[in-house]
Amino acid sequence: MIVLSPLKKFQFPVIAECISPDIFKGKSLAEIAKLEVWEGNKQRTLGDLFKIEEDKAETPDIVINGDASEVRFVGKAMKSGEIVINGVIGMHLGEKMAGGKITVNGDAGGWAGAEMKGGLIEIHGNAGDYLASPYRGSSAGMRGGTIIVDGNVGSDSGVYMRGGVIKIRGSAKQFLGFRMVDGTIYVQKECGTRVGACMTGGKIVVGGFLEEVMPTFTIDSIKPKVKIDDAESANGPFYVFLGDLAEEGRGKLFVSKPANPHLSSYEKFL
Amino acid sequence: MVVVKSVTCPICGSLCDDIELTIENNEVVKVKNGCALCESKFLGYKGEHRIKTPLIRKDGKLMPVSLDEAIHKAAEILANANYPILYGWSSTSCEAQRIGVELAEEIGGVIDNTAVVCHGPSILSVQEVGIPTCTLGQIRHRADLIIYWGCDPWSAHPRHLERYTAFTEGRFEKSDWKGYIQKVKAAAGKKKIESAVRRGVVKRPKAQPMLQHELVNAPPPTLMKEGRKLIVVDARKSMTAEMADYFIQVEPNKDYEVMQAIRALIRDQELDVDKVGGVPVEYLEEVADAMVNCNFGVIFFGMGLTQTAGKFRNIEVAISLIRDLNKRTKFVIMPMRGHFNVTGANVVFTWQSGYPYGVDFSLGYPRYNPGETTCMDILLRGESDATLVIAADPGATFPRRAVEHMAKTPLIVIDPHMNATAMLGDVVIPSAFVGIESEGTAYRMDHVPLPLKKVVDPPKGLLSDEEILRRILEEVRAIKAKKMREAEAA
Repeated sequence: MIVLSPLKKFQFPVIAECISPDIFKGKSLAEIAKLEVWEGNKQRTLGDLFKIEEDKAETPDIVINGDASEVRFVGKAMKSGEIVINGVIGMHLGEKMAGGKITVNGDAGGWAGAEMKGGLIEIHGNAGDYLASPYRGSSAGMRGGTIIVDGNVGSDSGVYMRGGVIKIRGSAKQFLGFRMVDGTIYVQKECGTRVGACMTGGKIVVGGFLEEVMPTFTIDSIKPKVKIDDAESANGPFYVFLGDLAEEGRGKLFVSKPANPHLSSYEKFL
Repeated sequence: MVVVKSVTCPICGSLCDDIELTIENNEVVKVKNGCALCESKFLGYKGEHRIKTPLIRKDGKLMPVSLDEAIHKAAEILANANYPILYGWSSTSCEAQRIGVELAEEIGGVIDNTAVVCHGPSILSVQEVGIPTCTLGQIRHRADLIIYWGCDPWSAHPRHLERYTAFTEGRFEKSDWKGYIQKVKAAAGKKKIESAVRRGVVKRPKAQPMLQHELVNAPPPTLMKEGRKLIVVDARKSMTAEMADYFIQVEPNKDYEVMQAIRALIRDQELDVDKVGGVPVEYLEEVADAMVNCNFGVIFFGMGLTQTAGKFRNIEVAISLIRDLNKRTKFVIMPMRGHFNVTGANVVFTWQSGYPYGVDFSLGYPRYNPGETTCMDILLRGESDATLVIAADPGATFPRRAVEHMAKTPLIVIDPHMNATAMLGDVVIPSAFVGIESEGTAYRMDHVPLPLKKVVDPPKGLLSDEEILRRILEEVRAIKAKKMREAEAA
C-alpha cells in the first residue's frame, strides 16, 4: 500500500493522472516519486508534491491523506485495485474508470466518474456537478459500474447515461439524467427540476420532493415499490411518468407519492 | 472636413457597416446612419476617463511611467506566473486576439473571452447538438417569422430590426415598418381617448379598449396576418415586446419547459398540463402552428436564455426545436452577440487552438473544459496568480469574490479607459480605440468578417492593442530566453 500526503496546500491545479493502482503496480517508491505531474504550468514529479510512504497492508493499493481538492484525474482509466482518499479530492476522479474501487471519505469535485465504464466509486461526502457525465460535445455517458454518494450532488449528473447505477443518498440539483438512454439513478431526498429532460430510456427514482415534473412527461401508473438494483429496492408508492415526449422517449420517472402531494392533479389522467 | 463612408461601428454584434463620419481636425464631429449607442461612441470616445500614459502601481498608487517600463513589468509578471489568466478580447480586433493566443501558449496560461459571461452557454450547446444557422442577409430577404427570445434588440442592438429583420425591405419579404407605425398611431390615439376620459371631456365608452395585459388572455389574431410576423418571448415586457405582433410573457427561469412543450406540440403530442411556465398550452399551440406554417423562420436569442436557470441546456432545447421544425419547414437560429467582436474572439480562438473560449495552455497543449478552465471558475477557486485584462471590464461585471482574487494577484490592464478594472490594476497600458484610432477585423454575429477602419489618429504615444501585445510577447520571449541561458550556465 502506498500512502500519499500533500506536502503543501496546492493553489494551482495539480494534474496527476499517474495516481492509479495500474500505474503504481510493480514500481518501487523511488520510481513512483519520479512519476510526472503538472502543477499549474510547471512540470513536477510526484515526489516534489507528495510525501510518499509504503505501508505493509495489502489493500487498499493507494491512500491519499489530506486536502487534495486541487488534485485532478486521480484513478484515471483504472482497471483494477483500490484507492482510498481521506479528505477532499479534486475534479475528474475515476475518469473513464473500467474496474476497481475508489472510496472518498470526504467531498469530490466535478466530473467524478466521468464516462465511467465499470467499477465502484463510493463518495461519503458530497459530489460536484457533472457526476458520471461526459465532457462538452460528447454523448459518451456512463456505461456501467456503480456510484454511491452519501451526500448531495450538483447539477447535470448522469447526463447521457447508458448503463450502470447511481445512488444518491442526499439531494440532486437540476437536469439529473438529462438525455439518459439506459441505467438507473436513485435520489433518496429532494431533486431539482428538469429531471430526466430529453431522456429516451432508463429509470430515475426520486424518493423526496420534486417541485415539478417536466410538462413533456405523461403519467402512466402508480406503483407500490421499485427495484433499484439486485441489492436494493425503494418503497413508495410512486407516481410513474413516461417521457420525454419531445424526444418520443420511453424513459421511466418514479416520483414518491407521499413526498409530493402537489402532483396529485395527475391522478385524474389514470 | 472629410466625410468617411462605409465605416463599421465598433459597438454591438450587429456591426452596422453603413456609418458615415465627418472628420474635422482629427476629430469625429458628425455621425450619420448610426443609432444612439453608435453616436455616443464615435462622439464621446475622447471622454474624461481616457488614460493618457502608462501607469504602474507603486506604494499603492498608480504612477505614470514610460511605455517600455510598463511593457517590461507586464512581461515579467506573465513570464514568472504559474497559472496566469488572459481575459477580455471581445472589444478588440481579430489581429490582437491572434497574438493573445500566441502569448497564452508562450506563458502556459488560460485565455478566455467575455463569452464566458454571455454566450458561452450557446457555444456549449452548439457543441452538443450543432447549429442550423445562416447569414443576416438571408434573414433580411427571406424570413417571414421572426422570434426574439430572451433578448431586447430595441435597447441592446438598436438597428437590428431595421437592418436585418422585421423592419427591413427584403427581396422576397416586405418591411413591416408601416404596420408598426399604424400600431404606434393606434396606441397614441388610445392614450388620447383615455386622457380625455380621465379629464371628463368625453364619457367613458361602453366597450373598453383592450388593455395589453388582457391580450394575454385573448386569442392572438396578429398571428393570422399576412407578411412578416414578429414574436417576442421574454420574462418582462421589453421595448421590443411593445413592437411585436405577439408577446409571450414566460415566468422567469421557465423558458426550458416552454420550449420543450412547443417541441412536444410540434410532434403532435398531448400534454397533461394546462399551463407551461405561466403560458396556457392553447397559446403555445398557436405559436407552434405559426412556426410550422411559416416559410422561413428564425429565432434570435439573448442572455434571457443563456444566463437564466438551465443556461446551455436552454439553448440546447432551442436548437433541438429548430432541428424538429426543419423536418416541417425552414428554420434557423442565431445568438444575439453583445460585444462587437466577441464572435471574432470565438472564431480566432477556435482557428488557433481548436476551442472557442476558456482554453488552458498550462500543460503545453490546448485543453478546454468550461467549469474547469474558464476564467470565472478559476478566479472563484482562487487558482490563478496573475491576470491580464484587455478590452473588457471584469472589475465592474464579475462577482465580488472573483474580483477580490483578481485584485489580490498582479493585474495587468490594457484599455483606452480608466475603468473599474484599470483602477484595480498594477500595470495599466492605455491603447488606441479599435475601429476609430486603429484598424482591424471583426466578426458580425452571423460570422461574417468585416473590416474596422481607422478614421482618426490616436493620441500621441498610444499604440493599438495588437502592437502592445506584440511587444509584450517579444519581451516575454526575451525574459524566458535569458532565464534559460542562466539555467544552462548554472
